[in-house]
Amino acid sequence: MVKIMEINKKAQMKIQQTAFMLIAVTLFFVLVGLFLITIIFSSTKESSELLREESALLLVSKLANSPEFSCGEAFGTIKINCIDSDKAMALKYNINTYSNFWGIDGIKIRKIYPKNSEACTSENYPNCGEITILSSEGTGVSNFVALCKKENIEGQISDKCELAKVIVYYGEN
Amino acid sequence: MHKKNKRAQEEIVGFAMIIIIVAIILLFMLSFYLKSEKKDIIESYEANSFVQAFLHYTTECRDYSEYLSIRNLIFECDKGESCLDGEEACEILDSTLENILMKSWPTGENRPIKGYELQIIADQTELISFTKGNITGNYKGAQQKLPPKGGSNINISFRVYY
Repeated sequence: MVKIMEINKKAQMKIQQTAFMLIAVTLFFVLVGLFLITIIFSSTKESSELLREESALLLVSKLANSPEFSCGEAFGTIKINCIDSDKAMALKYNINTYSNFWGIDGIKIRKIYPKNSEACTSENYPNCGEITILSSEGTGVSNFVALCKKENIEGQISDKCELAKVIVYYGEN
Repeated sequence: MHKKNKRAQEEIVGFAMIIIIVAIILLFMLSFYLKSEKKDIIESYEANSFVQAFLHYTTECRDYSEYLSIRNLIFECDKGESCLDGEEACEILDSTLENILMKSWPTGENRPIKGYELQIIADQTELISFTKGNITGNYKGAQQKLPPKGGSNINISFRVYY
């Protein structure tokens, strides 16, 4: 009888040990799971930022060839990566029509060579170096373009192209 | 009694080892997950568009009808022609490209761009060659072939090192 009681006590001890073991392991994996969920959800914001950067990068490589900016055939044969400076200035003063058209926060065209850091306005154009089409304080990605315009040189209308960068801004909050 | 305590201790040690192994595996998985690709300092489209953009640049060299773009100046340089004011086409091409490169790709120890290399080759002859800064193992490049205008095949090769 005593032996049976002893066996029962042993069995109960074993069951208790197993139960505590299972609870501890379950708690451990629950904590790990919570930790992982926190990490996964915190990277969602970073992913959306990456998406905006990628879309800005895609746009900056194509913007110069869009009808609103491109030189088309106005400067002889079709030029790739060429922005018509006069079109850009016209767009600057009609940008409200294009609000949120490209889904970005800002667009700027900056002359690289010859360098000129003066902001372009209707008063000083074309003797200026920076056309702000849409102003923004966000992060910018850039691409090289030829910035072309028609100029009156010694009574003759000639094409004049300079080297510039188009900068697309995103991520302004 | 002594045997029971030993067994209990062995079981606890075993349990602790399982937790440590699982934790190490999770740390490895986390480190791979958190590793994200950074944007390259230079993208290949930048080098490509730089070459295409500078070809349109209007130089100081004039022929009888207009001021020449770099593209047309390359052909004039290949033929050994001079500008209307008597300057050699190749000299103007050389100085213009040098200035453009200096302004567009500033290099230095503390700058992301370590060096660049530009070559313009007409058939097998080197017309223009610029190398500046350090040639590192990382670079982005662009190649542009110009269809011949009654002369040689022009090949432009540009590399930016970072």
